[in-house]
Amino acid sequence: MSLPDQILVVDLSSGRMRREEIPRELLSAYLGGRGLGVRLLRGRHTLSPFDPAMPVVFAVGPLCGTPAPTSARIEVVSRSPLTGTVCDCSAGGRFAWRLRAAGLLAILVEGKSPRPVALAVTSAGEELLPAEGLWTKGVGETVRALSDRGSVAAIGPAGENGVLFSNIMMGEGNAVGRGGLGAVLGKKNLKAITVDGDRTVPVADRERFDRARADVLRLFRASPVIFGELGIAEYGTPALVDLMRQRRMTPTENFRRTVFEDSSAYSGPAIRATYGAKKDGCFGCPIECKKTAEDGRRLPEYETVSHFGALNGIADLHAIVRSNDACNDLGMDTISAAATLSAWGEARGRFLSPEEVGPLLQDIAHRRGEGDLLAQGSRRVAEALGKPGLSMSVKSLELPAYDPRGAYGMALAYVTSNRGGCHLRAYPISHEILRKPVASDRFSFSGKARMIKVAEDANAAVDSLVACKFAFFGASLEEYAELLSGVTGEHRTPQGLMEIGERIYLTERFYNARNGFTRADDELPARFFTEAGTEGEGIDVPPIDRARFGEELTKYYRIRGLRDDGSFPDDGFLERQP
Amino acid sequence: MRSLIRKFGEKLHRDRSIAQGRVGIAAQDDVMVSEGAPDLSRLAADVLSRLSCLGIVAASPSLPFAEFLLRRANADAAAIVPLDTETRTFLHDIPIVRREGFTGDPAVAIAALLSNRKGVIAEGVGIVASGPVTLEQAYIHYSSVFHAAFVKYLLEVLQAGFLLPGEAEAFRDFRETFLRPLTAEGLSFRDGPLDDPEEVLSEIRAVGRYTVERGLVDSFFGNISCRVGQTIFISQTAASLDELAGCIDPVPMDNRSTTGITASSELLAHRRIYEATGAHAILHGHPKFAVAMSMLCEEKDCPVKDCWKDCPNVRMLGDTPVVAGEIGAGGLAVRVPPVIGGPGKAIVYGHGVFAIGRGGFEEAFRSMVDVENRCREEYFRRLDARLQVKYPGVSPP
Repeated sequence: MSLPDQILVVDLSSGRMRREEIPRELLSAYLGGRGLGVRLLRGRHTLSPFDPAMPVVFAVGPLCGTPAPTSARIEVVSRSPLTGTVCDCSAGGRFAWRLRAAGLLAILVEGKSPRPVALAVTSAGEELLPAEGLWTKGVGETVRALSDRGSVAAIGPAGENGVLFSNIMMGEGNAVGRGGLGAVLGKKNLKAITVDGDRTVPVADRERFDRARADVLRLFRASPVIFGELGIAEYGTPALVDLMRQRRMTPTENFRRTVFEDSSAYSGPAIRATYGAKKDGCFGCPIECKKTAEDGRRLPEYETVSHFGALNGIADLHAIVRSNDACNDLGMDTISAAATLSAWGEARGRFLSPEEVGPLLQDIAHRRGEGDLLAQGSRRVAEALGKPGLSMSVKSLELPAYDPRGAYGMALAYVTSNRGGCHLRAYPISHEILRKPVASDRFSFSGKARMIKVAEDANAAVDSLVACKFAFFGASLEEYAELLSGVTGEHRTPQGLMEIGERIYLTERFYNARNGFTRADDELPARFFTEAGTEGEGIDVPPIDRARFGEELTKYYRIRGLRDDGSFPDDGFLERQP
Repeated sequence: MRSLIRKFGEKLHRDRSIAQGRVGIAAQDDVMVSEGAPDLSRLAADVLSRLSCLGIVAASPSLPFAEFLLRRANADAAAIVPLDTETRTFLHDIPIVRREGFTGDPAVAIAALLSNRKGVIAEGVGIVASGPVTLEQAYIHYSSVFHAAFVKYLLEVLQAGFLLPGEAEAFRDFRETFLRPLTAEGLSFRDGPLDDPEEVLSEIRAVGRYTVERGLVDSFFGNISCRVGQTIFISQTAASLDELAGCIDPVPMDNRSTTGITASSELLAHRRIYEATGAHAILHGHPKFAVAMSMLCEEKDCPVKDCWKDCPNVRMLGDTPVVAGEIGAGGLAVRVPPVIGGPGKAIVYGHGVFAIGRGGFEEAFRSMVDVENRCREEYFRRLDARLQVKYPGVSPP
């Protein structure tokens, strides 16, 4: 039996809610997830992120609810109050699956509730619940209070108080991170959403689907990054700590250096030994890269340990884990929080001690004292202190834990990312460092413009299916196109998915251009062009050649069909899109 | 880009997988460039212009096996399905396109198939392969299709004989002219066990290169390691055996560091072999006759269906044990270590050969040469016997 492809439109101002069929041609052209969310922003993409009319779209993909590996994910799309760009974030857990099982592909939230509310969705219908009693509560307490209503997505005090890098947290501990979409929900007075669907998702061609699924799982088993004995299934993403140290590209002390000598204190093996890390994962995921402590606490990811560690010069694993706990409960992005503290530390000439971090995170979330400034992210902090060069961000989004001087594709991808300094839009670390699907020369720009473009398109499609990027350390769109064909019964090819990805990527860039973003915003912090990383062990980490970087960026624009200044050749792009 | 095109064109010539001068390679960054035989270079560029990827290799293989497989396939077949492990895992199947499917410009039909798979066999053209991320990928995918077609054709001929005009003659040429004696003679190996890391790295690079230069394996297939105390020095995943400089990871036996996350997908198998045998060196490759012969099983009424991964038995090919098991986190890391210690070598069903050195690499290398030579001999012995039975009076090739 088929499941409706519906969207729930929630007007928080009036309290009215309606379910609508999503036009088939939209799903065909944008798949779901990120693509659908970006398409649904059209017409409102120039509104202020905090304008009540600005929608926030929660969208799953066509594979959600099926046994397609790593596909129980959701994308949340809106405009970022931190960066001003279009912003999408992907999260796992169980929320996405239960939303799909309620007969929905998406929820679009607009307007502003006069008082705090929570949205509760089931297969039978939806309602807005009073949430005054939950307001000011941490994510953990909120999730516990709503747990009998299914899977929960909630904001914490950071989102309520407009912290520009506040998250929406999934009840299972996953984060809708980067970009501050928690604050957008906070401005709408929406504390939480619960979903509790109970319907099953049909698969049109079971034999084709099962064959593709077996192919995917075989590729997972063949991938050392996924199921290798040193891979992410065993150690989670902190498996990267030792590798980044060895490659001399660990951002250290606000990117002043690229080696943190004490990083083994929070490596994958150290976390396992200290916390007895157990495997945990998103719904139906065979990889189970999430790790939990024996007491059930969700343990930190690579970016978190590295940024609360090396970036702030801290080697105390327990302090790092406490910072992660605090951010998760307050509802804050760990990358931006740690990077903002690091920029602040360098600006005032002293990085924080482990004991100072916890109280300051509380101050940020509650906008108290110095926390009020820090809540605005590193770019605004550095500017306020008269040292704008100390914000290690692109388009105001703080850079994650891969120093661009150690991977030139990553350097390029940071600036071409439509949501700002993000590693996941093109994820060239996959080939520059992890050698998947093949290796590329990390210290060369040769060919990188095309590689980044191709990967951005592919990942836009992945975010629209919605699948986990980690699946693509083993599988490729070839196998996922087959999974999609099996689910829908319509033949899809990887090249067809790439074309959809390209449409999504250009749409995002067009939105950004309409909001004033130009080539001048596609720029790395000056430090990377003037200061070397930390050389040694036969590895030289020179500053990036600015002229060569600019040349490759121009190539990228040409490959994208843009002008050399990164602008669109005409104003009619959106009108030509479905 | 042009230097890369030339590099991979030369590698294809060196590993003897393309007919002399019959390759065209196209690659694109902000502009497209192509080089090689004019017709194939043009085809590669035309295909590439229709796809979102970095590069295309179009070449006439040095052996007509892919073409024969296409012509032997049922008229309505859209693909051939080799059953070796590499194909099962990475290619899934190999689309074929016949001349009548070209309907004008062959690039259109070939690009349509490459939009869904990594490599294609095109009648009268050869093998066309794509590289979505790098040009090297197109080279790898070409090699993979060539390897898969080679192994599948050996098995088909053994099972069904020659069916097409010209097959017997071509196969005779292959046997008498193309195939060269495999030998370790003239190579120099360091005595082991090795204990100096610099010597280890140098020896691994040299032995990796030997396996390619002596025709034991194609460039991309295989992995190699050496144990020094509590450290395994092992080739990285997706590393070419003839280009291992900078591509060897030191991995501690006790997993106290995860730097080796980029090590070969067979790291676990190597570790367990070291633990089980006390060996100091391991060489793993995919020599084609060994792969083909490992897939021949004479068991009758066996209940195991996916024998390549589920067969629990240890078969013998001469004095070499054959076991089943998937690569990576699949079963070969469980099934190889218990059987390899005595004979010093083992074959994994449809996959390749593991060989150990209890001192240095010489024993491992000679074992791999020996296994492939014996499999080659046994293959032709069976083929000769089969052809004489089926076609009495016709001389075997």
